[in-house]
Amino acid sequence: MRRILTQALATLLLALLAWGAAQSGVLRYHSYTMDPAPRALDEKIVQMFMERYPDIRVEHSQMDHEDFKQAIRTFLVASPPPDVLTWFAGERMRFFSRLGLAADITDLWLDNDWEDVYPPGAQAMSKTDGRYYFVPAHYYWWAVYYRTDIYDELGLEVAETWDAFLDNCRALDAAGYIPVTLGSRFGWTAAGWFDYLNMRVNGPEFHIRLLDGLESYDSEEVRNTFAHWQQAMDAGCFIDNPAAYNWQEAAEFMVQREAAMYLMGQFILDVVPEDQQAYFDFFRFPIIDPSLPIGEDAPTDGYFIAANAANMENAKLFLEFLGSREVAELWITDVGRLVTRSDVDPALYTETEQKGLQLLQSADYVAQFYDRDTPEDLASRGYDAFVEFMANPGALDRILADLQREAERVFADLE
Amino acid sequence: MRHHPLAPLSFLLLPLALYAVWVIYPTFATLTLAFTNWDGISPTSEWVGLANFERLFADRIFWMSLSNNLRWVAVFITIPTALGLTLALALNRNVRFDRFLKIAYYLPMVLAFVVIALLWAWIYHPRQGLINSTLFHLYGFLQSLGFDVNPLAARRIGWLGDPNLAMWSIIAAASWQHVGYVMILYLAGLKTVNTELLDAGQVDGASPWQLFRYVTFPQLAPVTTIVLVITVIQSLRAFDLVYVMTRGGPFNSSNVLANFMYIEAFLNYNMGYAAAIAVVLFLISIGFIAVYLYRVVQQEER
Repeated sequence: MRRILTQALATLLLALLAWGAAQSGVLRYHSYTMDPAPRALDEKIVQMFMERYPDIRVEHSQMDHEDFKQAIRTFLVASPPPDVLTWFAGERMRFFSRLGLAADITDLWLDNDWEDVYPPGAQAMSKTDGRYYFVPAHYYWWAVYYRTDIYDELGLEVAETWDAFLDNCRALDAAGYIPVTLGSRFGWTAAGWFDYLNMRVNGPEFHIRLLDGLESYDSEEVRNTFAHWQQAMDAGCFIDNPAAYNWQEAAEFMVQREAAMYLMGQFILDVVPEDQQAYFDFFRFPIIDPSLPIGEDAPTDGYFIAANAANMENAKLFLEFLGSREVAELWITDVGRLVTRSDVDPALYTETEQKGLQLLQSADYVAQFYDRDTPEDLASRGYDAFVEFMANPGALDRILADLQREAERVFADLE
Repeated sequence: MRHHPLAPLSFLLLPLALYAVWVIYPTFATLTLAFTNWDGISPTSEWVGLANFERLFADRIFWMSLSNNLRWVAVFITIPTALGLTLALALNRNVRFDRFLKIAYYLPMVLAFVVIALLWAWIYHPRQGLINSTLFHLYGFLQSLGFDVNPLAARRIGWLGDPNLAMWSIIAAASWQHVGYVMILYLAGLKTVNTELLDAGQVDGASPWQLFRYVTFPQLAPVTTIVLVITVIQSLRAFDLVYVMTRGGPFNSSNVLANFMYIEAFLNYNMGYAAAIAVVLFLISIGFIAVYLYRVVQQEER
């Protein structure tokens, strides 16, 4: 009797398990949100998902951005890997999908008719060799952020040309402000300067060709870019010892009203206290050569599923949710990002976000960012080169020759 | 009780197996890796012969890192060792609060490297850090006395951001910790110094310096060897502080071999290249480690 009962119970349990397989069990989600606002939203999204699927237990782990970038390869080759991960669109995503570490989610895209609501640009950055591997969720613009109260105090106008920008630097410097703050301890903030200067001096097309290994760093064009950088340094634009700070520490100088400008992504506001945000506005990086098309940086972040995810069904459910309009609108309302979905309510965007959106829509070319447009190990050499140039401009010839040699090696290895 | 010939072996089996899996195998695996172009995730990799080493010896970062390691050795072997010995000699007498002082000096040794790194990164912070803030007020005071100094200049010293200072700043933080370690080793050594010899020296009218130079110090020779070897090994394996405080920057001016290796392996995913760095670092270290092991074994046999 007891045996029959046990067997019956076991069968029942199995049946239950099979029935609920798609909507129960575990989901392991790793994300790189650390700054307060995106972190809170990230947690909220997970909470909402769990309310919708109460039987799925989400194991959510959040990491610092820099640490995540290093850890992700270890995550992906672990067995089992995390199911869903945050990542970057474009080349950085393709690196993993080409190695077979990301799950093909073309079915998910087609089932949800995402091709109707994600514009072609967003589709392209999610595909590798014609298949979808990525859900592009949100993006942000880069611009020169500045403190309106300092500008008002000194009666300065926002600079549209390079000369006007340098004049503003001189005026701010003379008034005892740090004209431009910069925290380049990890290099990428300096790469923002390189991206913009190179796009403004040589045009976005040259810039992308350079980052693809088709042009040389050791060239007149790139030297000209650095000559403009040198002009900014000579005009006293930059904070002393930028390499002593990480980007948040450098932003602190703006919050404390010591510095006036910061070339930064929209996420700078994530670390600005609410009562200070009213003093923060931004303008397009000044035009240097008006005859060139305008390029802007707008890195896109999103999600993918690891190829060997243990909970594939749950992962797809989660991705479906992450890519939904509901979540997209939260990224607008809660964090103030721009979202890739085109069917969101445009009234949700604040005036600032409308301005950012317009900045990008009026650009002729939108790049991802230095380290997302060029191979990663070359990017780290590039960072070193930019930071070294700022500390030691006299060594430019050697710096560029070294960087070009590295570039040749990296691109030769890729073939 | 009879001795079974296999008994010792059976006790050793588990530790040996663990040792083989966690130490011996990785050592040889790294050695072979150094001749491949493995990227850390691909299932396969190509044999590239000596290419990694050729690239390494032509890489400026390698030579910068190596020279930084050597600077680290040079500072470490002199300053913390001398300070540690001085402290040990001072605290070995019955000074007041000696127990408290010993603990106080040893305490940094208990902290994790990461904690020390963060602590010192705050101390070194150009605008809000302890050092520059103190200098700022000091300069302000001097200025009020009529000296021609600008207090704002103090805020501009980038201890970790200036390529000429970053390495030394990290070494200073590391030394701060290392002094306590050296002190403890010497304190232990001083307990073994034969007091009869000291008494005899005193009777013969030797000065305190002579007593130290000709009686105490020679007896500390085994400890000194250990201290020197440990110091060198510590310098060569320096990683944590560098990684947390500057990540080797600005532009590798504070890089050391271990950090360079870590960055190539886990940031740039050049596992093969990183393995080549590891092999070179291993070859440099092995000489010192051999001396250390020889001494330890010698002492144990005594």
